[in-house]
Amino acid sequence: MRNPNKKRRIVSYLIIIISSCIMLTPFITAALNSLKSYKQYTAIPVEWIPNPFQWQNYVEVWKMTDLGTYGVNSLIVTVLSVAGALLSCSMVAYAFARLEFPFKNSLFIMVLGTLMIPPVVMIIPQFIIFKHMGFLDTLVPLWILEWLAQPFGIFLMRQAFLSIPKEYEEAAKLDGCSPFQTYWRIFLPMCKPQLATLTIFTFMTKWNEIMAPVIYLSSEEKFTLPIGVLSLQGAWFGKEQYLIAAALMTLIPILIVFLFTEKFFVKGASSSGLK
Amino acid sequence: MANPSKIEHNKPTQVTEPKNKKRLTHEGKWGLIMISPYLIHFVVFIAFTLIASFYFSLSKYDMLNAPEFIGIGNYTKLVNDQVFWQALGNTVYFTVLFVPAQTILALILAVALNQQLKGLKLFRMAHFIPVISSWTVVLYVADAIFNPRFGLANTILSKIGMSQQQWLNDEMLVIPVLVVVAVWKGIGYMMVIFLAGLQNVPEDLYEAAEIEGAGVLKKFRHVTIPLISGTTFLVLVLSTITTFQAFEQIYVMTGNGGDITAAGGPNNSSMVLMLYLFQQGFAFLKMGYASAIAWVLFIILFIITLIQVKLQNKWVHYEK
Repeated sequence: MRNPNKKRRIVSYLIIIISSCIMLTPFITAALNSLKSYKQYTAIPVEWIPNPFQWQNYVEVWKMTDLGTYGVNSLIVTVLSVAGALLSCSMVAYAFARLEFPFKNSLFIMVLGTLMIPPVVMIIPQFIIFKHMGFLDTLVPLWILEWLAQPFGIFLMRQAFLSIPKEYEEAAKLDGCSPFQTYWRIFLPMCKPQLATLTIFTFMTKWNEIMAPVIYLSSEEKFTLPIGVLSLQGAWFGKEQYLIAAALMTLIPILIVFLFTEKFFVKGASSSGLK
Repeated sequence: MANPSKIEHNKPTQVTEPKNKKRLTHEGKWGLIMISPYLIHFVVFIAFTLIASFYFSLSKYDMLNAPEFIGIGNYTKLVNDQVFWQALGNTVYFTVLFVPAQTILALILAVALNQQLKGLKLFRMAHFIPVISSWTVVLYVADAIFNPRFGLANTILSKIGMSQQQWLNDEMLVIPVLVVVAVWKGIGYMMVIFLAGLQNVPEDLYEAAEIEGAGVLKKFRHVTIPLISGTTFLVLVLSTITTFQAFEQIYVMTGNGGDITAAGGPNNSSMVLMLYLFQQGFAFLKMGYASAIAWVLFIILFIITLIQVKLQNKWVHYEK
């Protein structure tokens, strides 16, 4: 029984190593390209290793573009979205998990039902609502909906609240806590792992989002990083290696967040496939 | 999972039922207050938008003048719209290539990664970097491979004596290349979902199968596949629905700097439904026509989901 086991592990290692190389090669190639001079970047036959390494490409592109402005806009959208998602989803989820109120079950079925509605039918009316509110070409439409509890977050937090024993609730009640105080002071601090998962998912979605910024933003000084860097393409003929540097720079913040929170990331991804 | 609060409140509600009907309890009041963000969300951004969207789809609406009711005019126009049919065909083609490819490859990776390998965390991380990248990052990173002049793919092709390709500029190749990039970007996420499913498969089932003399493939076929069929089903439904609504990737990778009217090329060969909806609505301000496209897409998705749920009973194994 030992031998087939060993063979299986070797095959598994081979698959995973090859696949990891396929995953990383494009990034490594792009990173090398971003450090070349234009002459070397366009050289045929291709020269893979930059000679010399032009680290100043990253400084140059920072100076020549509004990456700073885009970055601040992205940060505003991301931070406000994360705060909104944490507060609204946890509060709504707490009520669904621990409180009794009229129409609770029908309302929860409604949450389930809205998950089945494809967002495509809501795009145009939402645009018109925000237009009438005067929010076109502002960052507001990019984060405000997160303050109104999105279903994914409600589910995630509801599961967390359901797993807490009811003794905590009873003790809080004896101490004279209102349901909101019980949620805020006792239950919320016990759900830190799920809050971390929700933070990372919201962060990733908002930091990388392209569709909503494309719909709502028209002036360049409002652009977020993904559409800001995208808008540079084409206008920068002859300086493509700078654009690669700019794109890779937008990856760095989320990469850092990811490296520190990988555990919660994997948890969130796993829970999206299980019930 | 049992709901503790339910058990707790069942009795008191039964006793005080008449009173409860007239007056909201303290807890009931708090419950409604606490779900109010979702109520606003539902009323304004879901219920209202659904009704409005349906009404727009029956109207001529350019956003400057009030919507003008024209009955099913938009839908009859759609039926005769060549580009719409092309977009629908491309969407189906993209989905049919992408969903099975990603699902099968992700499952293979998850099974391989589930063999208690050393360095699991590192491997998992390598597969997650594309997942956390925006499509703008992917645009430039994929260019390192598929650039027609100095990309890695053409360099390799010419080394082994094959002719170079135009990749995203080639009408025949553009969708397959987009699918390859989409699989590359999304596979890590799906792999983790499968990995979680596999870790729920009890070890003793494999041992029992081994005692009966089952080989690797037999074990995979008769133990692994039935036990993760629930996860697979969910993954298939979700990825079909999202792929049918794919927009960001195609917009970014074919739009040349985010130009919505240029995206979908060359010559509409990568035009998908979402992109067409966007062009019609936000570039040409035909909001009524765009809404009709949205509803057709909605109905297609609804039918696909129904079919998948029906088929589910045939092959998904649920543990009792």
